[in-house]
Amino acid sequence: MTALYDLTIAEAAPLLKAKTLSPVELTAAYLSRIEAFDGQLNAYIRVLPEQAMAAARKAEAEIMKGGYKGPLHGVPIGLKDIYNTRGIPTTGHSALYRDHVPEEDATTTRLLAEAGTILLGKLSTWEFAIGGTSFDLPWPPARNPWNLAHDPAGSSSGAGAAIAAGLAMGSMGTDTGGSIRGPAAWCGIAGLKPTYGLVSRRGILPLSFSLDHGGPMCWTSEDCALMMDVLAQHDPLDPGSADVAKPDFRGSLQKDVKGLRIGVVRHFFETDAESDPEIKAGIEAALTTFRDLGCEVIDVTLSPLSAYGDVAALISRSEAFAFHEETLKATPELYGELARQRIMMGAFVRACDYVNALRERGRLIAEIATVFEAVDALICPTMPGVAPKLGELGNMMSRSRPSFTRVFNVTGSPALSVCTGFSAAGLPLNMQIVGRPFQDDLVLRVGSAFEKATSFRDRRPAQWAQPALAAE
Amino acid sequence: MSETISVEAFRLLLDRAGIRVKPESFEDMRNAYTLLQAMRERVRTSRGYDAEPAHIFTPADR
Repeated sequence: MTALYDLTIAEAAPLLKAKTLSPVELTAAYLSRIEAFDGQLNAYIRVLPEQAMAAARKAEAEIMKGGYKGPLHGVPIGLKDIYNTRGIPTTGHSALYRDHVPEEDATTTRLLAEAGTILLGKLSTWEFAIGGTSFDLPWPPARNPWNLAHDPAGSSSGAGAAIAAGLAMGSMGTDTGGSIRGPAAWCGIAGLKPTYGLVSRRGILPLSFSLDHGGPMCWTSEDCALMMDVLAQHDPLDPGSADVAKPDFRGSLQKDVKGLRIGVVRHFFETDAESDPEIKAGIEAALTTFRDLGCEVIDVTLSPLSAYGDVAALISRSEAFAFHEETLKATPELYGELARQRIMMGAFVRACDYVNALRERGRLIAEIATVFEAVDALICPTMPGVAPKLGELGNMMSRSRPSFTRVFNVTGSPALSVCTGFSAAGLPLNMQIVGRPFQDDLVLRVGSAFEKATSFRDRRPAQWAQPALAAE
Repeated sequence: MSETISVEAFRLLLDRAGIRVKPESFEDMRNAYTLLQAMRERVRTSRGYDAEPAHIFTPADR
């Protein structure tokens, strides 16, 4: 029998709808696991047991009266602690915002609540989504559920860890340079950075206005699709929100991937940036799976990774410094060292450098649009390796290394990370699936087809079924 | 590749920006500045006047 915490949202939803599974029972099971395990994982900054149980009882009453709202009704989730929650502290994992209690929910927080989700708590993050794995903050960094000695990646570290360990059924992360996809990769789950403008940023603490994206992190791509059916809404209060027709995300998963043209950005991981052999082997095996599914696989060429990295760094540092300058100068001691260093670099980007980065960004967006005339989706790794030991990512220089993820923050493209297997050491391998703007449904369809054609979704970090744990 | 900025010049930049750096972070910051400088140089290429900043997706992209 499948344990409650092993159910996906797609598996739990019909049980909740049929009243054979109670939101109260489900929420209590998750809270019990959080209490048992999160002391070692640090996925949560703040757990909300009373509020969660009250919401669960409300959801149960609604369902019993025939008021079932849809596949997220009664589903326990967590939010990265940069999503505003009315009346509940939203800290950004920073001493600076330790007492920050928003008066309004983020738009996404509200949409998920209206869909009937149960908020279990607020999840760990890198400080203000930029600080890196830090040990000088009010809360400890999250750890990787596959091996507690290893890094879960960031900045949506708690969101990735919670899903992999079965401490939430769904979660919300944010992604400015890879902060949804990186933790999804190293924690072995599915994480979607939607097209820029498809999911509202209203009420999410900003890092870089033009590169920030909010999106779902779940065990499967199918679950991400269920969350996107709720999240993809035009928001007039977000100036970057796109008023576009909303796809039927779940419905799209029923369509075939046969005949799709998959472009492999081979130079990214073979010449532009060094990648682990196991990651490359995972990609090659995935391409074989896609061929078996009837896809056409062809190599494509984009600008070198460094071109995207330059643009992303200059834009993100400038925009981050613009937001933080006042508090960074007034109260630098309230920031952790890594966040302070990384944000401060924005002080040295001149206005003309920022504008030229935006002009180069325009060229890169046009280039990828041309490539997408010949293919339906792109494939490359999410991360060049598996999760390193916690603390090895540390210094600010790491941000200068080529990144496979920042590419698609620059272009605004929808990009999904999925698990392609496991290393010899038992750590998840990864792949990124990228689509045309606003074809997030196709990206999820490709991801879901891959997950269903392989067995990697059957393997959970084994130790989390046990009551006691020990780090390596 | 950009040359590493001198200690004196970097101190001047920090003062001008009005930001304080812990002594133990100074060298990390100075090295990172060199990387940033290289990035700035790489995006400073000749472009036509029609190379406008990226703002939005064009309708055709939607």
